Amino acid sequence: MMTWHDTSPWRLIIIFRLNHANLNSYIYQHFHEVGGQETNWNFSIASKCNLYNELGTPATTESVIEESSPFSKYIIKVIFSFWVSTVEHKEDEKLKRSKRLNNNFTNNSKTKNHVKIIREISTVESVVLSSQLKEILQNVNSHDTVKGMYKPIKLFYHPREPFFVIRQPQRIVAVFPIRFREKTDVIIATTFFQELMEVGSSDKWAKAPRLSWSAIPPPELRGEALEDLSTNGGFVSFDISSHHIEGKRLDKTVWNLLNFNAYVRYHVKSTKGFIQRRMRKKLESLVEVLHHTSSEENEENKKRQGCRYMKKLVRTSKYDILKRRCGNFSRQVKRIRFRLKIHGFGRFRHRWLKIPKFSSKGYTKLE
Amino acid sequence: MLQVLICRNEAEKCLIETSINSLRISLKVKQADELENILTKKFLRFLSMRAEAFQVLRRKPVQGYDISFLITNYHCEEMQKHKLIDFIDIDKEISELKMSVNTRGRLVATEFLKQFV
Repeated sequence: MMTWHDTSPWRLIIIFRLNHANLNSYIYQHFHEVGGQETNWNFSIASKCNLYNELGTPATTESVIEESSPFSKYIIKVIFSFWVSTVEHKEDEKLKRSKRLNNNFTNNSKTKNHVKIIREISTVESVVLSSQLKEILQNVNSHDTVKGMYKPIKLFYHPREPFFVIRQPQRIVAVFPIRFREKTDVIIATTFFQELMEVGSSDKWAKAPRLSWSAIPPPELRGEALEDLSTNGGFVSFDISSHHIEGKRLDKTVWNLLNFNAYVRYHVKSTKGFIQRRMRKKLESLVEVLHHTSSEENEENKKRQGCRYMKKLVRTSKYDILKRRCGNFSRQVKRIRFRLKIHGFGRFRHRWLKIPKFSSKGYTKLE
Repeated sequence: MLQVLICRNEAEKCLIETSINSLRISLKVKQADELENILTKKFLRFLSMRAEAFQVLRRKPVQGYDISFLITNYHCEEMQKHKLIDFIDIDKEISELKMSVNTRGRLVATEFLKQFV
C-alpha cells in the first residue's frame, strides 16, 4: 500500500549509510518517491556533511503562497521549527518550482542526537506536503477575504492523482477525482463508495465528515480543465468543518485525505485477491465433489438402504406375489409329470438300460 | 435433438438439449447489476480456463448463454449424479460472492470512517 509515512524509509536508509561512509568522498543520489517529488541529493563528506534536498513543490494557487517563493510562509516556518539548526534555506533561481534545502550536520556518528537528526531529515517531504493541506484546513473558519479564495486549489499527492480543495464559508470541500485503468477496478471502487456513503450517512458516524460520491463533477469544480474532470470512477467529496480539525484531529484528517486514493486502490487490489481466492477454493471443492466415483456412491446408497431382506419385504408387489405363486404351481406340475408310473418300465430299465460296471482290476499289465 | 427451455425471465434461462447418450445443459445466469456482471464473467472465465479439470464443462458456451455443460452416459456412470446437479448451481455461488464483496466493502468503509472520529 503506497501510503503516506512521516518518515521516508528510503531516505532514512540512505542517510544512515552516509553517516557510516568514509570521509573525503562524494555521493550523488537521484530518485523519485511517493508524491512524485524529484529529489537530488549531493553529499560531500569531509569534516562536515552537506545534504541538499531538492524538492519539486506542488502547484498551488496564488492565494495560498507568495508569488516570489514556491513555499508559503507557513511551510517555511514549519520547516525551520522542525529542523532546529540543520536547515539552511536557499532558493534556486533556475528551477522555478523547486526549493533547495541544505541540511548541514557534522559527520559525528558518536553523538546521541545523530539518529534523531537523521530521522528529522528523512521526513522532509511529509512535512512539506502535509503542511500545505494543514495550512488550508486550519483556515476553515477564517473570515479573511482574498481575491479568488473560493477557487479550487489543486494539490498533488501523486502526479497522476491530483485532488482539489475548495474553501467555502464555514467548511472546506476536498474533491477526489477517481481514475482506474480497468473496468473491474472501477466497479469494485464504485461499490465501495456506495457502501461508504451508506455507512457515513448513519447516525453512528455523524462526527465523521459528510461524504458524497457522484459520477459527474460537483458544481464547485466548474471551470476546471477538462483533463482534470474526465474520470471513469466519478468524484468523491468530503465536507470538512471546524470540528474535524480540532486539536489532534487535524493530523488525522490530513493523513486520511492524503491517503484516501491509496486506501481505495488498496481496497480494490485486496478485493480482487479475495475474489480470486474464493473462486480457487470453490474450484477445488467442485473438482473434489465430481471425482468421487460411482462405487463410492453405491456404497453410500447401501449404507442408506440398510438390511437387504427388509428391502425385499418392503418392495414385494402384487405382481411379484402372483409370479412367485405361478412359479410354484409350474414346479409342482413338473414334479407330478415326472412321477407318472408305467407298469413294467422299472423292470425293463433294470434289465436293458443298466450301465455295466467295470472293475478297476479288470486289465492285465503288458510286459 | 429434443430441446427443453426452462425460462424464468429473459435474463435467467436454462436450455437442455438431449441425445441418445448425452445431455447439453446451457445456462444464462442472472446479472442484475454491474458487480454481478463482472463477478459472473470472472467466475465463468475462471472455470472455463480450467475446464479439463471438470470434464463436464464446455470451454465455449452455446450462443446466448453464459456456460454450457456436456454430460454423457459415461459421466453419469463415473460421477455422482446428484453432485452433478449441485455443480450446475452457479448463480448461488455468484450471489454469495457478491454479498461477501459488499460486506467486505462495508467493513472497510467503517474502518476508514473510524479514523476520523
